[in-house]
Amino acid sequence: MAVLDQTGGVARAAPDRARPREKALRRRSPALRRAFPYLLVAPAVIYLLGITLYPGAYAIYQSFYLVRFTEWIPVGFDNYVELWSDSEFWQALLNTLIIGGIALTLECVIAMALAFFAYRDALIRGWRIVFLMPMLFMPSAVAFIWKLAFNDGRVISDLLRKIGLIDGNLDFLGNVWLARSTLIVADVWQWTPFLFIIFVAALQSQDQEVEEAARLDGASWPAIFWNVSLPMIRPVIAVAVVLRGIDITTMFTNVFILTKGTPGGTTETISYFIYRQGFQTFNFGYASAAAVVMLVVTILAAQLVVKRAFRSGKA
Amino acid sequence: MARIELRNVVKRYGSFTGVRRMDLDIADEEFLVLLGPSGCGKTTTMRMIAGLEEPSEGEVVIGGEVVNEVDARDRDVAMVFQGYALYPNMSIYENIRFPLRMRGIGKADQDALIRRAAEMVELGDFLDRKPGALSGGQRQRAALARAVVRQPQVFLMDEPLSNLDAKLRSSMRVQIKHLQRQLRITTVYVTHDQIEAMTLADRIVIMEKGVIRQIGTPDEIYSDPADTFVAGFIGAPPMNLVEGRAENGRFTAPGLVAVCPPDISGRITLGVRPEDCRVVTDGPAELAGAVYGVEPTGETTYLTLRTGETLFEVKAARDARFDLGAPVKIGFDPERIYFFDTETGVRLRAQPQRSAA
Amino acid sequence: MEKRRKSKGDNLVLRYLVLGSWALFCLVPILWFLSIGFRPRTEIITPEPIYWPTFSLDAWRLLLADWPIFDYLRNSVVAVAGSVVIDLILGIPAAYSLTRYEYRGRDDIGFYILSTRMMAPAIVAIPIFFLFRNMGLLDSVWALMLIYAAVNLSIVVWIIRSYMLDIPKELEDAARTDGAGDLRILWEVIIPACLPGIITASVIAAIFAINEFLFTLLIASTKSAYTMSVALANFTGGSDGVIYNAIALVSFLAFLPILVLIVLIQKHLSRGLTMGAVKG
Repeated sequence: MAVLDQTGGVARAAPDRARPREKALRRRSPALRRAFPYLLVAPAVIYLLGITLYPGAYAIYQSFYLVRFTEWIPVGFDNYVELWSDSEFWQALLNTLIIGGIALTLECVIAMALAFFAYRDALIRGWRIVFLMPMLFMPSAVAFIWKLAFNDGRVISDLLRKIGLIDGNLDFLGNVWLARSTLIVADVWQWTPFLFIIFVAALQSQDQEVEEAARLDGASWPAIFWNVSLPMIRPVIAVAVVLRGIDITTMFTNVFILTKGTPGGTTETISYFIYRQGFQTFNFGYASAAAVVMLVVTILAAQLVVKRAFRSGKA
Repeated sequence: MARIELRNVVKRYGSFTGVRRMDLDIADEEFLVLLGPSGCGKTTTMRMIAGLEEPSEGEVVIGGEVVNEVDARDRDVAMVFQGYALYPNMSIYENIRFPLRMRGIGKADQDALIRRAAEMVELGDFLDRKPGALSGGQRQRAALARAVVRQPQVFLMDEPLSNLDAKLRSSMRVQIKHLQRQLRITTVYVTHDQIEAMTLADRIVIMEKGVIRQIGTPDEIYSDPADTFVAGFIGAPPMNLVEGRAENGRFTAPGLVAVCPPDISGRITLGVRPEDCRVVTDGPAELAGAVYGVEPTGETTYLTLRTGETLFEVKAARDARFDLGAPVKIGFDPERIYFFDTETGVRLRAQPQRSAA
Repeated sequence: MEKRRKSKGDNLVLRYLVLGSWALFCLVPILWFLSIGFRPRTEIITPEPIYWPTFSLDAWRLLLADWPIFDYLRNSVVAVAGSVVIDLILGIPAAYSLTRYEYRGRDDIGFYILSTRMMAPAIVAIPIFFLFRNMGLLDSVWALMLIYAAVNLSIVVWIIRSYMLDIPKELEDAARTDGAGDLRILWEVIIPACLPGIITASVIAAIFAINEFLFTLLIASTKSAYTMSVALANFTGGSDGVIYNAIALVSFLAFLPILVLIVLIQKHLSRGLTMGAVKG
């Protein structure tokens, strides 16, 4: 591989020398150099402070007042005291935990089972879109699908009747657990794909050879899945479940469209509680107090759970 | 003038010192190789010259000017990286053009310079392609072209050949050397491959754990190593090092007796290269042992023998054959025996004889 | 994702049974709801559910006549697109700062940004409501744009950050020795190199913005600012009750573009949804 140049020994002539602005060696002030990364990230941080710090402070401030239209009457800790003894508030917290907990568990289990069957199969790749579809609808649209199926259109009742499980109609709004199931079904239907797609992606990116070794060692596929594959993606599971869990505790849309809290407030989630207090009974101060409580819980959860989940799953 | 000087340069990372007090003078147009195992500080040193790292102490001087405060972009150095670092979204033409744009070279001059650089590395036909469509060797040459195009004061190369296969590596070595001679640009080249160092360098700087062990021409490094590290690092197969005792002009070790300068005594390590030994069938020999292994390479045969606990390697005749376990005797070239202090590893040079023996 | 070698010894029947049932469970409600969109209103809420409806374009007529559906669409598009643009302008430099620089507080800032994703809308809904009301921005697409941008910014930053981490540092060193300054490196080297990440982040942010309900409900209180997500909740014809066939149609109107976007980024989906924590 010979080098072509004919003029043996290229002279460093001035025209050839791509010499820029003469010797004006820029010396960047060290102060600017140090500040630069902060400057890059500042706009985003300031913007976010606008949606966290400012409203947070505002909510805290407002929670010490009784708000009557434009009149703000300072009431000290009264709102919090009332909250403490408000059975609806505690009911809302309980509902959120129960409904969210059941839904999250179901989503996890189903997604894992589906992932087990799907991840080794190339055929599934094309069908992945079908599994994803429920997630692609607007949450409000999904809520309406199930509202029609459960409540207004009574399709579910009808099907159950046809199979012979029940006779007569099921009033999904009249019974506590029936009403809760409508919320759970809607959430599970829409969001199981979220966990599913993440689990499958994680499983498929694992080293196949480890599984093959286990197979040679005599393990069955379910055993391999449980003892080898799942532990390998434990950080992923943590991250995905934490993300989904956080979103579930903020359940609002389904409640708003499907049940509005009935029967008797047993399907009211904490988000809906705040909404109702603020925008139906217009107790803004009271609602803010509840919001502050939720904020504190969120911050605690972020420090304890999220930080750890993301650190272990972090790239 | 592109002399480079490092004065008292130190680089620390927290409590870890990557480069200890270093003084180095690199002459204009010199091809200097920084050689050493990974973690020895050679890349860090080069990056300080480039301006990609700031020295914790000391001064970096390029062309007579202290450049510590000068940003990498203004130092007029060009660098070829181990992974080539070509801009993936630009064509080769645009890749080579990039430094010219940054330096404000007029559009009229750009094209000529780019094409000439591409011709120098024989990539003239590939200018329209993107890096992804090129082979490893072609990418390497593209990276070279990008460095060459603007005639910088200094070339820096960070193990540019280590990602290539052996054959490509040797042909690229020749080309790089030729290019540097042609362009007459001061070059600092980092590698852990001693063959690259020996074949390319005007001078070699051998480093270990942040310290310079020796600076010298390839010949000096080879024939006059400063310590056991250098001795063992250069040469493949590496120099044999045997620990023993020296007293009154005799060096002894298990299976080994050799003459040594009388002023050397105590716990001494003897070093002799495989190519400076020969199998002795009759006559005096320094070393006796049993055949441990035989490796014919076609060009020659490497014999490994065992004396006591030590394995000793000797370069034998091309068609020499040995039986495993057979006894064998080795003689050393008396001019090419080296002695080192076992404790410090430092090479002990004989005092000149005051009178003929 | 490298090709998986076919594994032997599976129980294919069980596998396809399980997957098939779930696929059915996913599809059937969708198809059913689609059929709702093409029924006359009289055949939707009936004493006994009708399974073989008559085809009708009633819903279309209703939509186009009584509701400014294209206004809702336009509002959605403007608010969503605008919010994504804001997020990219703020988020790309932020991601770059978190990736390539080391400075005190960097991890804390990163975690802070991440934590805003965790924040329930309900917590800040009321203060935001008051804020916008006092600024007179209630009921405007601008308010929605700002809100969506705020809600999605952390997602955008973290997704892009994940892709930036993949860019070899050598590339920037090369650009630097070639003479490029920080901003130029960002613009000409970094951004093109993480373009898939930028697209993924934009798509995911857009989808989350389209889906947003609570804030939109509170802020867009009159029809002029409705987006598709919230408009659904208000398809009531007074005494007629909920107009399902219209709702169904609008749902699919929103579904189709989202489907297209998802197919576009499907290779990056897992990475995007977990904000970079999982590299599918």
